[in-house]
Amino acid sequence: MKPWKIATVLGLVVFALIVLVPFWWIATMSFKTYEQIQFAQSIYVPRPFTWENYTGLWLETRFPIWFRNSVVTAMVVTIITTVIACLSGYAVARLRFPGREAIATLILVLYLVPPALLFIPLYRVLAELGATNSLMALFLSYPTFTVPFCTWLLIGFFKALPTELEEAALVDGATRPQALVRVLLPLAAPGIVASAIFAFTLSWNEFLYALIFITDETATTVPVGLNLLIYGDVFHWGQLMAASVITTVPVVALYMFIHRWMVEGLAAGAVKG
Amino acid sequence: MLSRADAGGRIEASRRHPRRGDTGTAILLLLPLLVLVVGLIVYPIYRAVWLSFTDKLVGYPERFVGLRNYIYLANDDAFHTVVRNSLVFTVSSVALKIVTGLAMALVLHATWRWRNFFRGLMLLPWITSTVIIALTWRWMFDSFPGRGFFNSVLLDLGLLSRPVAFMATPEGAMLAVVIANWWRGFPFFGVSYLAGMQSIPGELYEAASVDGAGSWRRFWHVTLPGLKHIIIVTTLLTFIFTINDFNIIYVMTRGGPGTATQVFATYSYEVAFNQLRWGRGVTISIFAVPLLIAGIALVSRYLLRERTA
Repeated sequence: MKPWKIATVLGLVVFALIVLVPFWWIATMSFKTYEQIQFAQSIYVPRPFTWENYTGLWLETRFPIWFRNSVVTAMVVTIITTVIACLSGYAVARLRFPGREAIATLILVLYLVPPALLFIPLYRVLAELGATNSLMALFLSYPTFTVPFCTWLLIGFFKALPTELEEAALVDGATRPQALVRVLLPLAAPGIVASAIFAFTLSWNEFLYALIFITDETATTVPVGLNLLIYGDVFHWGQLMAASVITTVPVVALYMFIHRWMVEGLAAGAVKG
Repeated sequence: MLSRADAGGRIEASRRHPRRGDTGTAILLLLPLLVLVVGLIVYPIYRAVWLSFTDKLVGYPERFVGLRNYIYLANDDAFHTVVRNSLVFTVSSVALKIVTGLAMALVLHATWRWRNFFRGLMLLPWITSTVIIALTWRWMFDSFPGRGFFNSVLLDLGLLSRPVAFMATPEGAMLAVVIANWWRGFPFFGVSYLAGMQSIPGELYEAASVDGAGSWRRFWHVTLPGLKHIIIVTTLLTFIFTINDFNIIYVMTRGGPGTATQVFATYSYEVAFNQLRWGRGVTISIFAVPLLIAGIALVSRYLLRERTA
């Protein structure tokens, strides 16, 4: 083998190890018994192998409630985000109106505004609306970061579609909304699905707003719940690891589905989180 | 031929002269976005600025105090530490990400089989929840063998004689949060640089080879200049998000030990929600805004060129 091939293989092995070792460590711990973790027995592979952390997590903790809350929140936010982002992405990409560039700039700037700047005043606004301590707080606050991001992505997708089809529909007497719904949306479907999955993932992973806006332990989402598990009185290490695995799997599954679009959309600046 | 050119001309004309209905439709379509933006982003930002001029304590009415919060923080030693920590955390994570990102892109670029598979594999940290990444690295560095990866493995290999509490020292804690943040972010850099490398025309490399440039000089004079744009954009974006990072530090160290890893966002949270001083808490976030505006202005220049051109 040529030297550069050996170097490449070596590089791949190193990077694969860097990425996989932490995942592997968490995954193996989720299948170890309490004793194995506590007394550092059979550290490399779970022996004996056990599902007790998973069953315990599901039966003894509030994880099922947090999981349900996370699913509901991510789905509601994804729907709200997709509708708003499609409408405004289309308007900015395809319509000619004064202030179009200003709106595009605004969307980008809003995407870059960090939640760390917003969390205190947003808490007050939500409290005044009576929306804190329920999932409604998350339905209202998550779109503040998903909508700018997804709109930004969709502007790119809509721009990339050929204008001729839409022009033809308009010439044939369709109105703008008809052209959008019947011609453009079906063409942009892959982009819309990708943006919806991004919205879902961002909501699924969000921590700061959920931590602050919801204090009731039964009304919160998985990321905050995981932190509650750490500070519980009786702490089950394995259950926390099992919870991490369960939380990661849906996102990885979705991601495998859109891997190619995601990589293409990356250059658009999909770095938030 | 002629009719196609003609049709093209008409489309061009309709682009230049906006359809009369366009503005009305645009307002209608943008209405939900504008309601969201004004109600839940712009209005809260206005409230944040107002709060920073008050001494708002939870449970008490706010009183206007002018610049007192700003002056207090400017003279506060704890806050100076926070600014320094934020910069150390951000600059060292971003520098590490650039270097390893370049290495990862070079390796993937040279990969002749299963490139997409490896690219997907290496992106895994980037899609995983930050909270789970922070928890994971907390266990990796944990001082208990059996829970802590490094302690377990180093003890097992005989390289340590007793467990080390890696995150108990200020330097160790900072290193740990930097590593966690690096691990979550470098795949994004690598994949972006790979995309950049793939768009550099092969002729440039051939011309450089003909001129007698070795692989190092080709990297320095062809690859790096070709990646300039993408390196600038990824660095700026990551800088903006890292300087305001909350999740990794809150979950791994809560800003400790002491204030060794306290950064803008965690300190703001601490002051606002544990000390209940909202006015001062908000002011801490606002202090990062000038940096933020500079970053946003630069990044907009680069990204808007692509979207509105």
